Amino acid sequence: MPLAVEIKDYTWQYLNTQQPALKNINFQVEEGTFLGVIGPNGSGKTTLAYSIDGLIPGQYNGIKQGQVHVFGKEVEEYARGQLQRIVGVVFSDPEAQFTAMTVEDELVFGMENLGMDLPEIRERLEWVTELTGLRHLLLKPPYEISGGQKQRVALAAVLAMTPRVLILDEPTSMLDPVSRRRVFDVLLKLKQEQRNTIIVIEHSLENLIPLADRMVLLSEGEMTLEGETRAFFQNMDLLIGQGIYPPGALRFFYELKRSARFEGQLPISLEDAYLELERLSSQAPSV
Amino acid sequence: MNTSAITDQPFIRVQDLDFAYPDGTRALEDVNLTISTGEFVALIGQNGSGKTTLSKCLNGLYKPTSGDVIVDGLNSKTTPIVQMVRRVGYVFQNPDHQLFNSNCWDEIAYGPRNIQLTEDEVKTRVEEAAGVVGLPEMYFGEHPFFLSKGLRQRVAIASILALRPQVIIVDEPTTGQDARQSFEIMDFLKDLNEKHAHTIVIITHDMPIVGKYARRVIVMGEGRILADGPTTEIFAHPDVLEKTFLEPPQITQLAQLARDLGFYPGTLTVEEMLTQYQVIRGRTRL
Repeated sequence: MPLAVEIKDYTWQYLNTQQPALKNINFQVEEGTFLGVIGPNGSGKTTLAYSIDGLIPGQYNGIKQGQVHVFGKEVEEYARGQLQRIVGVVFSDPEAQFTAMTVEDELVFGMENLGMDLPEIRERLEWVTELTGLRHLLLKPPYEISGGQKQRVALAAVLAMTPRVLILDEPTSMLDPVSRRRVFDVLLKLKQEQRNTIIVIEHSLENLIPLADRMVLLSEGEMTLEGETRAFFQNMDLLIGQGIYPPGALRFFYELKRSARFEGQLPISLEDAYLELERLSSQAPSV
Repeated sequence: MNTSAITDQPFIRVQDLDFAYPDGTRALEDVNLTISTGEFVALIGQNGSGKTTLSKCLNGLYKPTSGDVIVDGLNSKTTPIVQMVRRVGYVFQNPDHQLFNSNCWDEIAYGPRNIQLTEDEVKTRVEEAAGVVGLPEMYFGEHPFFLSKGLRQRVAIASILALRPQVIIVDEPTTGQDARQSFEIMDFLKDLNEKHAHTIVIITHDMPIVGKYARRVIVMGEGRILADGPTTEIFAHPDVLEKTFLEPPQITQLAQLARDLGFYPGTLTVEEMLTQYQVIRGRTRL
């Protein structure tokens, strides 16, 4: 599998700051991987997203050390605009990304910029409005819709350009639980049907865990943990110490394990947790 | 159950409230509820279900299209907004939509000055509010936009507290905050509720937070109240929640799946689940 992203000995320090925002980062993302990035606020997650789509070092002043490769090529080596065709970012503040007067124009803007022809734009617009359930909002001004709807528009606008690498920075922070699950369903579909590489920065782990192949934990600019999702969440002491609050079912089994009432791998999904509880109940008491 | 004193006399009474925006969009329909002093309420519902609109009716920012909002005996239709906001404070979802002064002191002092308190009284109110939210004095002269989101939210809450409202409504207090910051803010609201006897209403999509902190849940959908009751009862009936595109916290879902094993479907926290596990294990073979 080719590497979509490869980060080697990467350090970035914004101009006029005392500390690097990211320190000595090393990891690789194979094409088609769903990667979850977690960490407290201020740990460097958004800086990492900017570094992969070339906003850093392109639009920010600072000192870069090490390498950030996207499909084998250093981000600065891409011709202007080329990298943004490959890497799409959905920002955590959707308003920061809006430029148009209607939702429809907002969705079309990026595609026009990429020079797509009209029939293709129409087809993709159709696909993306269906996928994100935005049809009834197409003619509204983006500033008149609710926070959750704005987040769906921001996502749809980036999806319409079908970037091979999709980075989402807290894409569901303003959504209700079901809309949130709907966004993750869309991401799952993209991963399964189109083999997009997807990198999601999230605080809410309930939906992320079942989808993510791998996870990265950032704290104070350093990568403190990285690995396959199930293995990653066995390191609960470290995660909780870093202020990561796992979903209820996982935390329940972690507490059982801590008090020696459970042995073995912690179940990371609701379904697995239930199966584990059932298994425990069918066993003879271990007194 | 919590011990905060809840008086019998409702502080807020909403009767047959309808609200439509000037363009005719109906946002609230036939809303009836009472909120008593000392309650900790979560207002939940899908995006666009009317939660924020209802809050703005409660503090008099919006006047009912029909029906009444009566706060502390005052009808919002006939009471000047200045009187309403002294009783019900509303903290915006995005603190940046609320903060507009060039330093934190002026930001917090704005409300008290606006209700024309003396500068001495203003000073007392600002110091008190800053103390309650734990905003260190070194930040008083800072521009709010140079503070972290968590601190900006505290400034926003302090600026409301300075009016000493009995009821504080906080719209999405934990959005964009990491777990540690979320608990800090919620523990702080819990303190306001338990130690300072403020009535707290939170608007949120974060169901684990609701399960942990709120004692009562009001579920809204399409401008109506669909359910209203103790948190554990509301979460024990996922069908009502599902209708409104909500789901209980994951630990509640686990308890519901494991109902046959003896777990209570209205379980709200991991701690409650662990206690039950202990009991069930002692009783059966688990």
